[in-house]
Amino acid sequence: MSSNPDHQIHHNRSFVSNPQHQSTAVIVPPPCSHLEEFKAGRGATAFGKLLECIRVRPLGRASVRREPNEVFRCSACRQASQRVYACVSCAAVVCDIHAPDHEHEIAIDVDRAELFCCSCGDQVYDRDFDSAIVLSQTAAATLGGCNSLCTPPPENLRKRRRVDYRPWTPDSRERALLGTNSSLLPGNDEDLSSSSNFPVGLKGLNNLGNTCFMNSVLQALLHTPPLRNYFLSDRHNRFVCQQKNGVHRNKNERNNKNPQRLCLACDTDALFSAVFSGNLASYEQQDAHEFFISMLDGIHEKVDKDEHKPHSQGALTNDLGFRKTKSASGRLHYFSSGDCCIAHRVFSGILRSDVMCTACGFTSTTYDPCVDISLDLVPNHEGPAKTSTKTHHSCNGNAESINSGHSSGTSTLMGCLDRFTRPERLGSDQKFFCQQCQVRQESLKQMSIRKLPLVSCFHIKRFEHSSIRKMSRKVDRYLQFPFSLDMSPYLSSSILRSRFGNRIFGFDGADGNEADESTSEFELFAVVTHTGKLDAGHYATYLRLSNQWYKCDDAWVTQVNENIVRAAQGYMMFYVQKMLYYKASEKQSG
Amino acid sequence: MDVASESHRIARLGLDRNLDDEEEELRLSAQARARLADPSNSEANSKYVVDIFGQTHPPVASEIFDCMNCGRSIVAGRFAPHLEKCMGKGRKARVKATRSSTAAAQNR
Repeated sequence: MSSNPDHQIHHNRSFVSNPQHQSTAVIVPPPCSHLEEFKAGRGATAFGKLLECIRVRPLGRASVRREPNEVFRCSACRQASQRVYACVSCAAVVCDIHAPDHEHEIAIDVDRAELFCCSCGDQVYDRDFDSAIVLSQTAAATLGGCNSLCTPPPENLRKRRRVDYRPWTPDSRERALLGTNSSLLPGNDEDLSSSSNFPVGLKGLNNLGNTCFMNSVLQALLHTPPLRNYFLSDRHNRFVCQQKNGVHRNKNERNNKNPQRLCLACDTDALFSAVFSGNLASYEQQDAHEFFISMLDGIHEKVDKDEHKPHSQGALTNDLGFRKTKSASGRLHYFSSGDCCIAHRVFSGILRSDVMCTACGFTSTTYDPCVDISLDLVPNHEGPAKTSTKTHHSCNGNAESINSGHSSGTSTLMGCLDRFTRPERLGSDQKFFCQQCQVRQESLKQMSIRKLPLVSCFHIKRFEHSSIRKMSRKVDRYLQFPFSLDMSPYLSSSILRSRFGNRIFGFDGADGNEADESTSEFELFAVVTHTGKLDAGHYATYLRLSNQWYKCDDAWVTQVNENIVRAAQGYMMFYVQKMLYYKASEKQSG
Repeated sequence: MDVASESHRIARLGLDRNLDDEEEELRLSAQARARLADPSNSEANSKYVVDIFGQTHPPVASEIFDCMNCGRSIVAGRFAPHLEKCMGKGRKARVKATRSSTAAAQNR
């Protein structure tokens, strides 16, 4: 048995680790003096000939071989040990025992395509080396070109320039307008009753006959910060709304309406009508998640019309492979990061789907917008997820899969997300036509998140409908969900980087901007829960306002301890980005 | 296949997941569930609560208002079934522009 390779790997004390352990931030460790000297002397062709010998197995590691089945033997002891290094300077091969004796310093671990410093006795890292490895790996995956794997994002996905947030204060003219055109809400100033101690805007909603499925989602939406801010800051003009949408309403009723009524009530009104007029089969015991989708859809259509936004806002090109979807009415929809309406601007993210040929590694990529992520509850008998595809190991050498609690049998939201983004082997009945092989091949599919929305909604698939067995059932199993959630491991940049061996390289979506780190951090603000049976259950919503949790059970709103929320049976969880960045706003008329 | 190289790279490049935070969340959730399962814990017993509006029991939706479609007086708790019948006739089905992510994940 060859020597334990671990004794060669030790931590270099000069490296300062990233205290925040962000998964998207690749820290390039400073080179040891030997590597630095080596590179200084050689410039761009530092690793030269050996890089021409990179072999990439389909979906596998990069290794260095001058000939396909070359076996490397140590020039000192003639052993073909588990870990051998090829010197970059003289191409001599040494094993880990004899490496320190070699006259040159920088070598390559031939089986792993990793740089090794013989003097330090440690694995070292270099950006140029990693880039060359990745380019070899991606050439195999993409018919020779890089396209979706490593090109910089096209124009429409690059962030508009960020600006610093400037709070608005009225100038003297605006103050005068405010004084003459508004009045304080009643009961605010010196009302000492208990009713003035709760947050403004927290109201119960009457149950109008099994409408808790609507009430629960409405509560979450009413308190979704960007959505709430949008409507409360009057970004939606009611007069335009009335004129443009008269066709959808009973004109007699509309004319009688009190013009002082708030626009949001008007919108909600229209949505109630739309919901009951046939969008859902019947109002009884409807699914809250379906209602959520319908709500966003309703806001989209409504606001879209009002603000005259052309449907192809954002000039989406085919670079990203966006699918142009046709609705039943024949309208083409182009969804980018939600320039179409406030609902999509808040909730719309982009999912990336990669299908990889297991024979040659060719990868086909598509992007799809999504307003939420529906997750399967991992069944109990599955236990810890398959570890073969996991490359995230904790740094203390523990090789156990870190699926956040699976070892204890508890299902967790992060475990579901791990499952959602893991490579999945498609069945032999689902062979995919590989453009490179020109035949149908077995393939792997992997999802990742190309762009995170402002608000992430996770829907847990607790309702199972089996058309085979003609039955439906509800899965009551508890799902642990965090109050604070870091989404960076599920980003396309992280998933791709992991797929290609965690090299120092900017993968799809990683633009190296340090500020991006904080856009992956989310905090929980609403949880829609379902209790009871599939056909006779009840929805309620927990809301967090000013760091206090409330339970909204139709018209019954109570303060609750956060423990109650943590222990609740989550059906839909709403997370908002901790850091919101601002772009310069468009000019507002008037 | 040993994982020493991979772990070394992940650690050195600062790519390890923040296990501390994840474990803390797990611990808090487990603790919360344990506390609520404890019968001596008064938090779990929500019988004698007062809501934020000072009411001592959940209100019944007994208000009566006029239907904005037909003008009749309907009691709130029966408004939804009424509206369905009232508006249901003669309406075209609305088109869904928004798809849920299950469709995106399943469609290829």
